[in-house]
Amino acid sequence: MNSLDPRVIRLPDIGEVGRINPKPALDQFGTYEVFVLPKEGKPFQHEGIVHAPNLEMAYVLAKETFTRRFTCASLYVVNTLDVFVSPLSEGNQNVYDQIPQILNQNSAKVNYEIYHLPKRGKQHVHVGRVSASSPEEAFSIAKEQFQKEKIVYNVWVIQSTAIRYTMNEEKDLWLTLPEKKFRDAAEYKGGEKLKEFLKKSKR
Amino acid sequence: MSNNAATIELLYKMADDQLILGHRNSEWTGFGPILEEDIAFSSMAQDKIGHSLALYTILEQLGERAPDTVAFTRKANQFHNCILTELPNGEYDFSLIRHFLFDTAEALRFELLKNSSFEPLAQVARKVRGELRYHTLHANTWIKQLGVATEESVSRLQGSLNVAIPYALGIFEESPFEKELITSGIFAGEHELKALWINKVEEVIGETNLQLPDWKLQTPILGGRIGKHSEYLQLLLDEMSEVFNIDPTAEW
Amino acid sequence: MYGGGNTFEEVKTDSFSQEDPIKLAEFEARIERGEKIEPSDWMPQLYRKQLIRMIEQHGHSEIIGALPEGTWITRAPGFKRKMALMAKVQDEVGHAQLLYSAAETLGKSREQMIDDLITGKSKYSNIFNYPTFTWADCCFISWLVDAGAIVNQLANAKGSYGPYCRALDRICAEESFHLKYGHHCVIYLASGTQKQRDMFQEALNRWWPPMMHFFGPADKISIHTQVLMKWKVKMGTNDDMRNQFLDMYVPKIWELGFTIPDSQLKKNSETGRWEYTEPDWEEFKRVINGDGPCNKERLEVRRIAEERGKWVREAMKAPNQKYVSPLA
Repeated sequence: MNSLDPRVIRLPDIGEVGRINPKPALDQFGTYEVFVLPKEGKPFQHEGIVHAPNLEMAYVLAKETFTRRFTCASLYVVNTLDVFVSPLSEGNQNVYDQIPQILNQNSAKVNYEIYHLPKRGKQHVHVGRVSASSPEEAFSIAKEQFQKEKIVYNVWVIQSTAIRYTMNEEKDLWLTLPEKKFRDAAEYKGGEKLKEFLKKSKR
Repeated sequence: MSNNAATIELLYKMADDQLILGHRNSEWTGFGPILEEDIAFSSMAQDKIGHSLALYTILEQLGERAPDTVAFTRKANQFHNCILTELPNGEYDFSLIRHFLFDTAEALRFELLKNSSFEPLAQVARKVRGELRYHTLHANTWIKQLGVATEESVSRLQGSLNVAIPYALGIFEESPFEKELITSGIFAGEHELKALWINKVEEVIGETNLQLPDWKLQTPILGGRIGKHSEYLQLLLDEMSEVFNIDPTAEW
Repeated sequence: MYGGGNTFEEVKTDSFSQEDPIKLAEFEARIERGEKIEPSDWMPQLYRKQLIRMIEQHGHSEIIGALPEGTWITRAPGFKRKMALMAKVQDEVGHAQLLYSAAETLGKSREQMIDDLITGKSKYSNIFNYPTFTWADCCFISWLVDAGAIVNQLANAKGSYGPYCRALDRICAEESFHLKYGHHCVIYLASGTQKQRDMFQEALNRWWPPMMHFFGPADKISIHTQVLMKWKVKMGTNDDMRNQFLDMYVPKIWELGFTIPDSQLKKNSETGRWEYTEPDWEEFKRVINGDGPCNKERLEVRRIAEERGKWVREAMKAPNQKYVSPLA
C-alpha cells in the first residue's frame, strides 16, 4: 500500500479491499475482570476487563493493559462468569438490606473474596475474604461481617480458587515501574526551554 | 585496559541487540492481532529500548559517545547486534518465535550478569529482572498455547522456528574476548550461555507439538557481532535516523 | 444474583415514548441526584443506543488515531522521543481497549464494533483521516489534537454512565503525559533551527482546518439533543468545546511565535467568545463520508491487521467459551 508510513508500505496484501467476513455474533474470546493493588497496604480494586482465551493468558495480557502506568504492587484476574453479583441499590438504600440471611450450611467450605461498590460510578473494592459452602452463603456471611453504617451499593463474590493471583516470586514484575519516567508527564517540563526562548525572541 | 575493551565489546553487542529488536517489535504497535497483545508487545519493545539506553549510558561513562549519537549515527557495519534481531517482522508467528528465542537468551544472560565483577552491568542486570520475568512469562505462555492449538498455529510456529534457529544460534557468536571476560568474572561467556539456552528452549518447546532440529546439524548464521549484517540493517537504520539526520546537531 | 455479566439485548427502538413511565422517572431522578447509571440498571433504549454509538466511535477514534502518529514511530529522533512516542501510540491502543470494554457493558460485542469500523458502518473522528507529512505533524497531533480530545473527555467524564466515566478518568490521567510530551516537542521545534520552526509552521497550516472541524458543527438544539443533555449523555455544545479549546491553546501557540492560518481569529473581549472564519463544513461532510485524504488507508490498515491476526484468535478460541458482556 502506498503510504507515508513505512510500516504500512511493508504490510502484506491480504484479503479483499474493504471487505471482511463478519464474525458470527458473540463468537469471540470471553472477558476477564482485572483487579489491581495500587500499593501495599491498600485494597485491591477493579480496574476493567481484558479479552482472553483463558485465565493464564488473561493474566499475561492484563499486566500491561492495566499496570504499565502509575504504581502497582500486585494484580489478579478472574473470568467474568465466575463473579457472583448482588442487586444494585441507589440513593440511601444499602444493598445488604436486600441480601437474605441464610442459615449456616454444614457442607465443605471454601474461600470467597468479597468486594463492595462504595458509590455508583466508582470502582469495586476488595473488603475481605470469607469461608463459605456456597456463593449465597458467602453473601450472607459478608453481610454479617462487612455491613457497616456506610452504604454499599453492590457486592461481588468470587471463589478464591477461580482467581489467577500474582505469586510471591512474581512480585518483582513491577520493580522498574517507578523508573519508567518516559511515560510520566512530570518528565516533560518545557518551562526552562520556553523561558529561554521567550527571552531570546523578545530581543 | 584490555578488560575495558572486552567490557566495551560486550556492552555494545548487548545494547545493539536490544535497540534493534526493540525497534523491530515497535513496528507492531497498532497492528497487533488482539488489542491487549498489541499493548503487551509494545511495552516489551519499550523495555528493550530502555535496556539499550541503560547500556549505552554505561558505555558513555567508559568514554564512548553519547547514546543518541551512538544509536542514530552509526552505519550498519559499526553495529554488533546479532542478525536475528534485524530481520523483518514477518507475520506474528515469526515475531513471537524470535521474541521467545531471543528473550530466553536475554533473560539467562542477565541472570549470569547479576554477579558480574563489572558492577554497573551487574546493577542493570539486577534491576531488569522483573521486566525479563514478564517477557519470558509472555513468550512462554504464547508459545505453549499456540504450539498445541490448531494445525495452522502449529505449522506456522514450526515454519518460523525452522527459519529462526540458525539465526538464534548467532546470538552466541563468540567475541575475541571470551577468555578475558570469563577469567575476570565479568561474564560467564557465550559457550555457557548457549548451553543454558538450549536447555530452556528444549524445556518449553517440549511442552508443545513443535519439533526442535538436531542441534548438531545446525549451522549458526554468524557475522553480526563483527559488523557483517544482512541487507535489512542499513535500511532499518536509515529509517530510524531519518528525522534525527535532518540535523544531527539540532535538539528535537 | 447471578454468575457474571448481563444478557444480551438488541437495540430496537429510537424513541422513548413507549418506555415504562415509572422506570423512566426513577432513571431520570437518579441522574438528577447526580448518581451514575451502572450496566445492570434499567435504561431507556435511546440512552443505550446513543451511548453505544458515542463510546464505540470514541473507541474507533483511538485505534485509528494510533495510525497518523504511528507513521513516525520508527523515525522518532533520539531515545527520549522514540520511547515516548512508542508509549503514547500504545496508550491510544490502550484507550480503545478501555472504551470498547465500556461499550461492551451496554451489550455490543467488541468484535461487532471492529467489524462495523472496517466495513465503514460506524464512524470515527474525522481528523485522523489527514496525513502526517513530517515529524512536526506528529508533534501537532501529540500536543493539540490530544488537547482537543482532553477538552471533550473531561466534559464527558462528568456524564451519567458509570463505565464510560471510569474509562475516561483513566484515559484523562494518561493523557496528561501526552499533552506535556506534545507541548515539549513543539517547544523544542519552536526554539530550534529555522528549519525546525518552518516544519512546525507548515504542520500548523495543514492541521488548523481539521482542528477547527474536530469539535463538529454548531449543534442544532432539537428535543432529541435536549433529552440527551438532560440524561447527561451529551455534556456540552460543540461550539462551547471549540471555544474552550481556543481559549486554552491559541495563546500557547502564539506564545511560541507561530501564526495561526486564520486572519479572522480573535477573542471578542465583550462576549468572551472566539471569532473565526467559519470552517468549511462541506469538506467536513465529505471527509466523514469517506472522501478524505487517508480514509481508505486507515480502514485498510485496520482490515489487514484484523486479517493477519485472525489465525491467532482462531487458534486460541476455546470452543466452549461463552461470551457475556463484562460487569463494569
